[in-house]
Amino acid sequence: MNMERAASALRVAGLRKTFQRPAVDGLDLKVGQGEFYALLGPNGAGKTTTLRIVGGLLQPDAGEVSIFGIDALAKSVEAKRITAWVSDEPMIYDKLSPTEYLAFVAGLWGMDAAVAENKSAALLEWLELKPHAHERCEDFSKGMRQKVALAGALVHEPKLIILDEPLTGLDARAARLVKDALLARVRQGCTVIMTTHILEVAERMAERIGVISRGRLIAEGTLEELRKQSGSSNTSLEDVFLSLVAEQEMARESGL
Amino acid sequence: MTAPGSWLWLARHEGLLAWRDLRYLMTGGGRWRGRNVVIVSVMLAIGLHMIAFGVVARYAGMTLEVGTRGFTSITGSLLLIFFLLLSQALEQVTRLFYGRGDLDLFRSSPAPLRRLFAIRVVAIGVATTIMALVVALPAIDVLSFLGGIRWFTALGVAVAAAATTAGIALVLASMLFDALGPKRTRFAAQVASAIVGSAFIIGVQAVAIQSIGTLSPRALFDSDLVLSRMPPPDSALWIPARAVLGSGWDLAITVTVAAIVLVVPMVLLSGRLGGYAIATASVSHGGNRRAWSTRLFRTASSRQLLQRKEWVLLLRDPWLASQTLMQLLYLIPAGLLLWRFYGDSRGTLIVLAPVLTMAAGQLGGGLAWLAVSGEDAPDLIASAPISPMHNLSAKVEAVLIAVFAIFSPFLIGILSHSWTMALIVAVSILVAAFSSALVQIWFRSQARRRYFRRRQTSSRIATFAEAFSSVAWASAAALAANHSWYAIAPAIVAVLVLAGTWTIRPR
Repeated sequence: MNMERAASALRVAGLRKTFQRPAVDGLDLKVGQGEFYALLGPNGAGKTTTLRIVGGLLQPDAGEVSIFGIDALAKSVEAKRITAWVSDEPMIYDKLSPTEYLAFVAGLWGMDAAVAENKSAALLEWLELKPHAHERCEDFSKGMRQKVALAGALVHEPKLIILDEPLTGLDARAARLVKDALLARVRQGCTVIMTTHILEVAERMAERIGVISRGRLIAEGTLEELRKQSGSSNTSLEDVFLSLVAEQEMARESGL
Repeated sequence: MTAPGSWLWLARHEGLLAWRDLRYLMTGGGRWRGRNVVIVSVMLAIGLHMIAFGVVARYAGMTLEVGTRGFTSITGSLLLIFFLLLSQALEQVTRLFYGRGDLDLFRSSPAPLRRLFAIRVVAIGVATTIMALVVALPAIDVLSFLGGIRWFTALGVAVAAAATTAGIALVLASMLFDALGPKRTRFAAQVASAIVGSAFIIGVQAVAIQSIGTLSPRALFDSDLVLSRMPPPDSALWIPARAVLGSGWDLAITVTVAAIVLVVPMVLLSGRLGGYAIATASVSHGGNRRAWSTRLFRTASSRQLLQRKEWVLLLRDPWLASQTLMQLLYLIPAGLLLWRFYGDSRGTLIVLAPVLTMAAGQLGGGLAWLAVSGEDAPDLIASAPISPMHNLSAKVEAVLIAVFAIFSPFLIGILSHSWTMALIVAVSILVAAFSSALVQIWFRSQARRRYFRRRQTSSRIATFAEAFSSVAWASAAALAANHSWYAIAPAIVAVLVLAGTWTIRPR
């Protein structure tokens, strides 16, 4: 295993994916182990496509994806074993209860049944789902469904958690729970990469932020580094983000 | 007249939605190509008229003097169509309460909900009438061409039948709702619809098998057993039959009764329909119960997990289970035939081989759609550490095991009679189900499970491929059960159908 590659949790190089138009256009990205990384960008910038490729849900047209040194395109099953994916639309089964769902997910990831049972119980308690542990998910609110999906992502102890807009539609309490759960995992050494339109969340939670536009990474770094790149200090991430994207659009229109 | 919220305005809105639905039905969601639709419609019309010619041409000379035998045949045919229409109408009326769609919008608007429901009941009547005409018009055309325009009175009977079914369906659905409440009515109506749609033909076939040893309803209607129990030709029971044969007076009575049966419930019940819809919106499926399947999931390999998940989801969704299994009702006559001729010569049982194979093909297709296209958590499965092939093969196995389990009582019955025939039927059942599953895999298109009924319109090619391969395997099974080497021919046709389908699959 390449030592330089192994030091990074995620390494993406020259990633390309075209649908009707290029969605990801030669993207390079590197996320360190134990890092909380936020990927920002306007609608249609290629954030979700990038994360779906990293999560093994889409095949790229070209490029490399390496997760903890594992070639995620050639050895996708091996890479998925240490990865979890959470989308904005909770992917759960209406006719299963949270307990059954977690048992199913743990089984898919090949976990020991006893370990899985303990972890499931702890997660359900932590996410305040214990009173509903044996109810079918069909009557759950969006927030409860998202918490069940998050529990499914955490139950198998992934080393890399990929989240696509995980806070969409959540109330303040549920959002706080999800954020706390993610920060706790990062403190335990887990790597998190997340897209969000709530810039305040990225500002407060992420150690590094990547800004993507038209399938390319246009800026990357800590909030301070991004401020420097955009040439504005003491401004919010929202201002920095809008400034970077506008700059990119102007450069594109002027053919630079 | 067309002020927003008025009768006409709402009717126009409903008409637009119905037209869009019809377009979807005809194009499968693809682009609307007027020329193609006209060509397909003309070909369909020609095909239906040719079938109608073969079936009804010999009855063109019938007059009002046909007597009890003729009236019995006509009334039997009318009842068959009537129950099929009633089944469809009952399902459509139930959908009025449970289809969330735009009801929340209407409920939050000042437009009177009663008016909307009244228009939607009329729309159901119109839709049922169109269906009745699709079935009846080719036969009426043929009869009128050969026997004179007096046969056009049958059109009035078809319209009356459709209106009657819409009215009865409204009453039945309302009774079910009052008796069972919003939580259970949908399932009960689904089962009632399946039973109503199939009960008459199954009942007739069952009586035919028991009394005269054949599956043919016509033979039963012509038998002395039935004719000796029928009333004389001037009985009121034959009013619809006399209307079909050109009696204007009887047609007037039929249409009047139908109008009363439709309008009275519509006036009396349309005010309550809004309440039903509100009640369905507040249904809770909850209840804290310790789930038995948790242990099933904890002690399984990933392959077994995927299979068990499919079975658990199906078992927990009575509506879906009834949708999937209702076609098995049509196996009842086959089961009766097996029971009636158990121990008789092999020849009598040969008819079972194609019937079971055909049913297995259709059931396999439905289950495969649920497992593959109807996957509720596709991202979870795609992100799990299992290969796509492992996932698909586990799901196909789940389908085949379910099909085999459902058909095993028949196989055990046949096995007691002839092990070679049981083997032939078992193989043909599995091959037909597997073929349908392959078609569903090649044409998979992610959809919510609740859109199960629309699966047949989402891809015309997949629907026809599934049907053709099932028919071809059923033919092969029939010939193989007869120990004929000609079975190879339809088997090759089935393989060619599958090969052709594979080449034009979406990539």
